[in-house]
Amino acid sequence: MAGEIEEVIGKMKHRGMLAALGLVLALPGPAVARDNQFSFATRILPVLTKAGCNTGACHGAATGQGGFKLSLLGYDPEQDHDAITRELGGRRVDLGAPDQSLLLRKPTRQLEHEGGRRIKRDSDAYRILVEWLAEGAPYGSRDTQVIRIEVKPSDGLLLKPGQSRPLKVIAHLSDGTVEDATPLALYSSNDDGVAAVDREGVVTVKNRGLTAIMIRYSGQVAAARVGAPYQEGQAAAISFPVRNFIDEQVLVELKRLRIPPSPLCDDATFLRRVHLDVAGRLPTAEEVKAFVARPATAGKREQVIDRLLTSPDFVDFWTLKFGDLLMINSKKLGEEGARVYHDWLRQQIAENSPLDRVVRELLTAQGDCAQSGPANFHKFTTDPRDMGEFVSRILLGTRVACARCHNHPFDRWNMDDYYHFAAYFARTGFDNQQLVQRPFGEVLHPKTGKAMRPQPLGGRAESMERAGDRRTALADWMTAPENPLFPRAIANRIWKELMGRGLVEPVDDLRPTNPPSNPALLKALAVDFIRQGYDLRSLIRTITTSRTYQLSSQVNAINRQEDSFFSHAYLKPLTAQVLADAIAQATSAPEEFSGYPPGTRAVTLIDPQTPSYTLDVFGRCPRTVGCESAAQFGGGLSQALHLVNGPVVNGKTDKALSRLLAEPSSNRVMVEELYLRTMSRMPDARELPYWENFLSQAGSKREALEDLLWALLNSREFAFNH
Amino acid sequence: MSIESGPVCLRCDGVSRRDFLHLGALSCLGLSLADLFRFQALAGSPGSKRELSCILIWLDGGPSHLETFDPKPDAPIEVRGEFKPISTSVAGIQICEHLPRTAKIMREVALIRSLTHELGNHDTGSHYLLTGHRPAPVVQYPSLGSVVARETGVARALPPYIAIPDAVPAAGSGYLPGAYSPFAIGGDPSKLDYKVRDLEPPESIGFERVNRRRTMQQTLDDFARDVEQSPATVSRDAFYAQAYRLLTSAEAKGAFDLSQEPRQVRERYGGRRIGTGCLLARRLVEAGTRFVTVVDNGWDMHQQIFKAMPDAFFPGSGKLPALDMAYSSLITDLRERGLLETTLVVMMGEFGRTPKINAAAGRDHWPRAGSVLFSGAGVRGGQLIGETDAYGETPAERPVRPEDVAFSILKILGVDANKEYMTPSGRPLKILSEGGFIGELI
Repeated sequence: MAGEIEEVIGKMKHRGMLAALGLVLALPGPAVARDNQFSFATRILPVLTKAGCNTGACHGAATGQGGFKLSLLGYDPEQDHDAITRELGGRRVDLGAPDQSLLLRKPTRQLEHEGGRRIKRDSDAYRILVEWLAEGAPYGSRDTQVIRIEVKPSDGLLLKPGQSRPLKVIAHLSDGTVEDATPLALYSSNDDGVAAVDREGVVTVKNRGLTAIMIRYSGQVAAARVGAPYQEGQAAAISFPVRNFIDEQVLVELKRLRIPPSPLCDDATFLRRVHLDVAGRLPTAEEVKAFVARPATAGKREQVIDRLLTSPDFVDFWTLKFGDLLMINSKKLGEEGARVYHDWLRQQIAENSPLDRVVRELLTAQGDCAQSGPANFHKFTTDPRDMGEFVSRILLGTRVACARCHNHPFDRWNMDDYYHFAAYFARTGFDNQQLVQRPFGEVLHPKTGKAMRPQPLGGRAESMERAGDRRTALADWMTAPENPLFPRAIANRIWKELMGRGLVEPVDDLRPTNPPSNPALLKALAVDFIRQGYDLRSLIRTITTSRTYQLSSQVNAINRQEDSFFSHAYLKPLTAQVLADAIAQATSAPEEFSGYPPGTRAVTLIDPQTPSYTLDVFGRCPRTVGCESAAQFGGGLSQALHLVNGPVVNGKTDKALSRLLAEPSSNRVMVEELYLRTMSRMPDARELPYWENFLSQAGSKREALEDLLWALLNSREFAFNH
Repeated sequence: MSIESGPVCLRCDGVSRRDFLHLGALSCLGLSLADLFRFQALAGSPGSKRELSCILIWLDGGPSHLETFDPKPDAPIEVRGEFKPISTSVAGIQICEHLPRTAKIMREVALIRSLTHELGNHDTGSHYLLTGHRPAPVVQYPSLGSVVARETGVARALPPYIAIPDAVPAAGSGYLPGAYSPFAIGGDPSKLDYKVRDLEPPESIGFERVNRRRTMQQTLDDFARDVEQSPATVSRDAFYAQAYRLLTSAEAKGAFDLSQEPRQVRERYGGRRIGTGCLLARRLVEAGTRFVTVVDNGWDMHQQIFKAMPDAFFPGSGKLPALDMAYSSLITDLRERGLLETTLVVMMGEFGRTPKINAAAGRDHWPRAGSVLFSGAGVRGGQLIGETDAYGETPAERPVRPEDVAFSILKILGVDANKEYMTPSGRPLKILSEGGFIGELI
């Protein structure tokens, strides 16, 4: 750094006169309207962005490179213009002899440049920069900016593997002009394995499937869905009976991508699946027998769904799920706060309170945390920035964190958006345990120091400083029927819980550049959710009564390749509490949890502070961080060891068998009973004789049964919801 | 008795040791069938000559470089702090006075003082050092241990990658299948009756029944009606296979059993977690594991650093003496057993700390400077690589970046960091996209 300064001073002395002259030429006259040709923000900066000057690894890094700092991907054109034209006495530009400018000589490698050669001398980029410098390196109109970009074609681009097609990117400017941004936009593929894109925006499909190309230009983002169908030939044969709009929309994509769906799952599979998904438990042996024996009538499966939706098990299970989302944790909230919060939440689920009302209560909560459940929502943090990030992540499925320090590099949020949103939480405070709203408290923009008015993400500024609770305005905006953000995020999460994969993954990362695998379906789910009054049970019912939900997990040669379009059911490993409870139920031997009465099920535990190595190694959500992302907790070798040798299984087989052997039964009946309790089905024509024979050959019948039960509980089929 | 002084065990962002979870292995990524076959094939191959292993001592929280391996005795008092440097067995290298044993074995150590980067947050900094990549939203990078596990063989009795006692989040398998995530032994190995859980079947179940059960489980899975193989099921199968290999090997299980070590050896390492962790690591490396991370918490000293570092309150209350005993004993022990040639020992944290002492008599995060120690596996000891400036603020010469550290660790262990992996989404990705070998090490 010291060396560079000397170099600068040397240069200045050497060419001081020219530089001074250049500066004079460069001084923008008052309100000189230049046409867009030399608009720095919309013309010049994109050239530098395309050349890679301002990436996070180069001059866009927090401390810049070599003393030259630009805003990350050009989110702050005014700062960048200053850095280029005025910093260090303007030594980076030579307006009298533009070719001599450091700004050009470095990236063309005429001078040592750690970043290598970024611009070729005989290129459009070079020419544009030279002309701009010759023009005096003006800024141009301060108001001119790109307000949105569109990409053509944006969807439905289906090619064969190996084929290419160019994308076209159009930029819409604030003054009404429209420009072709194709050569200067930044392109990247969300999945190089399916489709690649080059610097010119030409897409080449590599493989069957569908992905999105992310396009960025001048602070705006867009995405184009591209891919290839899963087989050649017509899709006429791809169909199944449609139960509701979900099936309709799923079929549209299956037909387009030529993915033949799997058949309907059988009754036993359905029963186990829907019990695990809706009520968080296995069906009992009796329930299985009764359901399978019942004649197939229209509505047979719906009856089960309706019964489960109104069961106490449903309430317990979904309280657990929402408790994970809200991170209800006595470590943070204290015992009392966690209990009150949990009880309130459970009551909302039990009463089927519309989720818009639940969210409103959370956002606008007041009072004593030891008495008001939702007040604890705000105990998560008192830093409005952290609260803004938390709320947007869990309720809007959006990660705004990047925009704390710079504009989000691949989403639409900029720093202003971030701090406007944080401002909703600026007046929250705690008087001991009392949650209060203070009449003062602001969020200041870190660069301008200005107090930021509360403004919703993508919304318009709150008009006027209103007396009263800022958070009310936030709740109004979030639950307004025209606002799809909250419904989309929640519908996507519920979809994932039931289907094993969100329409958007990860579920807290919804953004234009990460489109849903079925955009029309997500939109329809959100619309339906609003129309049904933000009704959780209704949404679950709609999903579980669809054919799509009830498809078999067995795959065919084609659809085994896909994992995003729901042509078949996706395997879901049993989650920690459900697995522990399933083992306990199958063996009639509950786990013991300190502080809870015997017989307590793991799904009813209020928070993860209840010590349980079993639950930890099974991967229970610790509720200190979000549990949505790919990095799971627990599992692995430790879990396998625990299942093989630990007391979670070994300590229970005894009790289970005492029950089983209480009445004398044939080997056949006992094998069937064990299967029903664990696999929730009868053994088939191969399994039954095999195990009957095994039992009859065994020296100790009791040991043989114990081992069979152990093996069933350690089997692959038991561990998964299929 | 091992006591960790309360506040320093927490990181400043509130994450404590207990929050380091047993690292996820049932990642949604799982193993491809190809990997599984490869996995199984390797199980057959006998270990021939002794291969290279790595022990990474991870000083979690960011150890102050000025109070450890980069003292600045000529700087003003508000920078140099309260401790003095001492000479070591290497002319020209001085380290903190509270590391006398380590000073004696410095001729085995290549000391890098010029580690530098920009990520001053625990999670991002750890990620950078443990994977060689800056964290990125679209890719989960695998830790070095996971890469080594993948490259050097998984299918021995001992898991190839072990964390003592728990794995930090960045030490996971990333986009690699969960089979390559670390096996965390859990608990507190410094306790005298410590045992790794679930390595033995219940007493009532004999060897024969264990085998029978295993066969029955296999039979059930073979019958598997409705459960198609998927990455998640393949991964789960791999873990069970791994579990059985471990459980049926007395030698592998015994490696975890510290009670087999003579008492004076345990005492030499010191009874604290870092000491017992290093001893356990040595045993595990001896028994054939390939990468062990010994995690030592408590280095995030934003306050009272001069009380937290030495044994200011009672013997055993400070971090430095425990580190001193553990590290010097480990190197010496490996040397004496003839293991040092084939064991790379690396010691580092996520960053150094602010040269200017803060108002709470502590130091804050300072990624611009930090130290890394390399020893063993052919590393040329007794040398200094890189230097920081007068105040320890920034590298004055030979800056070393985390990707260079990562590259070098991999290279020394025989892994080519330019090799490409296929992520589950089908994207080819080099193990490391940046970084070069620190040639001075060899």
